[in-house]
Amino acid sequence: MRDHFYGYPRPDGQVGIRNHVLMLSGTLYANPTCERVVHSVQNTIPIVHPLGRCQIAPDLARTFRTLVGHGRNPNAGAVIVIDHFKEQGCTADDIAHQIAESGKPVEVVNIRRDGGALSATAKATRLAIEFNRRITRQQRERVPLSKLVYGINCGTSDVTSGLAHNRCVGWVADRVIEAGGRALVAETTEMMGGEDLICARAKTPEIAEKILGFIRAMEQSILACGVDMRGSQPTGDNIEGGLSTIEEKSLGAMQKWGTKPIVGAVDYADPIGEQSGLWVMDTPGHGGESISGIAAAGSQVMSFSTGGGHTINHPLMITMRLTGNRESWEAMQDTMELDVSDIFDGTPLEEAAGRLFDEVLDICDGKMTKAEALREWNGFAINRCGPSV
Amino acid sequence: MSLRALVIHADDNVANLIGPGRQGEEVACRVEGQDREVRVALASDVPSNHKFAFADIKAGDLIVKYGMTIGKASADIPRGVHVHVHNVESTRGRGDLA
Repeated sequence: MRDHFYGYPRPDGQVGIRNHVLMLSGTLYANPTCERVVHSVQNTIPIVHPLGRCQIAPDLARTFRTLVGHGRNPNAGAVIVIDHFKEQGCTADDIAHQIAESGKPVEVVNIRRDGGALSATAKATRLAIEFNRRITRQQRERVPLSKLVYGINCGTSDVTSGLAHNRCVGWVADRVIEAGGRALVAETTEMMGGEDLICARAKTPEIAEKILGFIRAMEQSILACGVDMRGSQPTGDNIEGGLSTIEEKSLGAMQKWGTKPIVGAVDYADPIGEQSGLWVMDTPGHGGESISGIAAAGSQVMSFSTGGGHTINHPLMITMRLTGNRESWEAMQDTMELDVSDIFDGTPLEEAAGRLFDEVLDICDGKMTKAEALREWNGFAINRCGPSV
Repeated sequence: MSLRALVIHADDNVANLIGPGRQGEEVACRVEGQDREVRVALASDVPSNHKFAFADIKAGDLIVKYGMTIGKASADIPRGVHVHVHNVESTRGRGDLA
């Protein structure tokens, strides 16, 4: 079993598995300038989004925290933050200042201050070229597996999820934690019905209570909309597929959690602590919002397990997708990396999950995912907790 | 004899059929983590990938999968019988039981 990978150590102690120049848009009106640079300069990655202004304070703070977290993610070797003019509470200068604390090179380009969109594009393009020449001198180094933050998520689940691919992910999470690393799970919606497991696995009652609080708040926010999720869970297609109760559905999703103690719980897009073990983040089930929260916490690589197949990937946190549903693999393998459906032919879990472990570590060492080869970026989204004003 | 099923945890009292099965067919059940195979004859038709009783289950017994409770039997479920919403009910979020 490999106990190391080859990555890019950063000044703050984190280790990247890629060495990109991140083009980070502070607000929606800076997105096109970011995208022009990405079209022109190789090794640049765009983070673009529709937020950053006209949000109430706690909601804007969430956007700010998410953007800062992406700048600090160790897969970014350098960051250029693009701003439109003068935002309130989420300025590029403040974002860049917080990212710079990590010790990596950061610059700000302001469209208004720098003479308009085209002059700002020219300035950001030159900066991206300079950053590329500066950071690409760094070579990969052998680092212990304990430096890995293994991101975990799932989507388009079906009855194969709890039997095959989710169990493989849980097995890999256990191996990463045994090596001294961290695994990070989320998706509060799919914790409903798994409360007993959470209480049994949480290292302290305080951690358990914090996670149960996430679940209660999620339930309340659903009820506040005047609807009752419980009446529609499991869904009609879940029942058709053989899932009988919400407990069965949630416990199937939570097979991704492996078997190790839960050592901490954090709010959306907050950094996690240094302690090795399983960490839990409060996110919705929405794939893009959930994986972006995990990326903001510093995860370098993610396994996204799916029953129905998927195209999802995060621009910066390298995302590999797997399924245990052979029909889904056959339909969706253009954007999936691994098929573990042979578990249903009798392949032992350890063997199928061992292939996942190897694929994840190969990707850490630099093997491209299909999304990277396609330069397809669809999975960045920021969770909101307030209205636009 | 080609029907197979997975029992995910040694404590489970349900098995997960791989593919569809008809009443009377024999199923080779693999118990995860154990080097043994248990043969169970289906006592009812079971749709593709659905569960059946791996042990005799009495009304009121807990249904165990993944080594954890996924609900409660609402009727007696003899070994080999299809286990689903017609004979299992959730024990969570039940306003009528609160």
